[in-house]
Amino acid sequence: MSNSVDNKRRATRLLRWYPSAWHKRYGDEFVDHLEQEFAERPVDHKRTLNIAWRGLVARVCDFGLSNTDQNVDTGSRAAVGTSFTLVAIASVLTLNFWSLAVGRWSSRRFHPVPDTIATGILTVTAGLLFLVLVAIIVAVVVSVVRQVRRRRARRLVGPSMLAAGSGAFILYAARWLPMELAQHTHSPHGRPGIQWSHPGSAIAALAQSTWDLTQTWVTLWTQRMRGVPSSQIIVNDLLPIAILVLGIAIAVLLRRVEFPLISERIGSAIVALLGVLLGAFLITFFVWFKVGGPSGSNVFSIDGPGATKTYLVFLALIAVLIVRSGVNLTRRWRLVGRWDTSDSRGHVA
Amino acid sequence: MTTSEDTLTGLGRNAGAAVLVLSSLAGGDKHGYALVKDVEQFASVHIPPGTLYQLLARLESRGLITSLEADERRRPYRLTAQGASVLADYLTAQQRIVKTGQARLKQSWRLA
Repeated sequence: MSNSVDNKRRATRLLRWYPSAWHKRYGDEFVDHLEQEFAERPVDHKRTLNIAWRGLVARVCDFGLSNTDQNVDTGSRAAVGTSFTLVAIASVLTLNFWSLAVGRWSSRRFHPVPDTIATGILTVTAGLLFLVLVAIIVAVVVSVVRQVRRRRARRLVGPSMLAAGSGAFILYAARWLPMELAQHTHSPHGRPGIQWSHPGSAIAALAQSTWDLTQTWVTLWTQRMRGVPSSQIIVNDLLPIAILVLGIAIAVLLRRVEFPLISERIGSAIVALLGVLLGAFLITFFVWFKVGGPSGSNVFSIDGPGATKTYLVFLALIAVLIVRSGVNLTRRWRLVGRWDTSDSRGHVA
Repeated sequence: MTTSEDTLTGLGRNAGAAVLVLSSLAGGDKHGYALVKDVEQFASVHIPPGTLYQLLARLESRGLITSLEADERRRPYRLTAQGASVLADYLTAQQRIVKTGQARLKQSWRLA
């Protein structure tokens, strides 16, 4: 009797390697299976290692960034959520790199050909990336509000509060941005500010403000900037954490809110789009950086060129993860579509 | 058009174990432990529990097997028509390879 209790306890302990969604689906039968194996072979280190490894793989799959074992609907949501979190973090760097490139182009406007193509691609990809992120947030907020109205929002309270809190913090950190933009758009001394008929100058002004905003955010826990009050330094240092919290909160909400079926189907397209945009941005930035971009110590005046390379590698890793996830999801959807078609034929060889 | 290659190659290194699981289920519905024992009997291969449940999840999500109503804690699995088709295609292809290999061994090496 005590042996069977021990076996159950051991099996339940091993089950902890797996994510909670997996527990719900396979937990009971897995524990039952292990109990029978324990009765037959009480000690087997290879078996323990096998369970630990497969459990970790299941956890990675649970994030939606690997060949997922989940059904495609859950997989789509997990992949979109995790991609959102990664791209949210990457977006600060992306915007910073974009503003650097556009700022440089702006000061070298008499050598327009290679730089204009590069900055054009950078502007479009960074803008689209940002828009997709905002669209995901809007879709989540709308769905949360709908669910609150239907009084089915119990599981949404925690992540919603986290999202609202971190979102408010990010807005607070960027509170001076509208003022700075206004300075560009309404130039003093009665002169016109941005000439909106010349989008290039508007983009350059926007890039200047974005640079001012993001440069303080990408210098993570490194050198302190002169003239910046300590309260602002604390806000800047906490900002990456706020972005991470926002990303995770939105990712959790993406898994929990009720979306129409069509949005599940476009999940893989969204993930693939995020990966492609980030990839296109990186490749263009790299080419610009090597060919027409700034040289040596001028890059990233605070963190130095080494930081740029580190950030580029970091962004490349994120892009690879997201593209891989999008490709996996697309393959899975295609496979499911095929099954649906061939099942109707009911053909068995 | 669906081919066995599409579905089994996607399973990577687990494709071999997947064939064993599908072959076992071709003989009738089985729960996890019964499946492991059956595979041990006909193939002398032990599938560890972590690998088995990862495979079951993947095969189920690909529509090659389906889970039935749980009997207490044990949940039996059944081969679907699609799974049977994929297994049949795979085994036919393997048979061709076996026949060719055996014929060549016999011809050149007087073996097999």
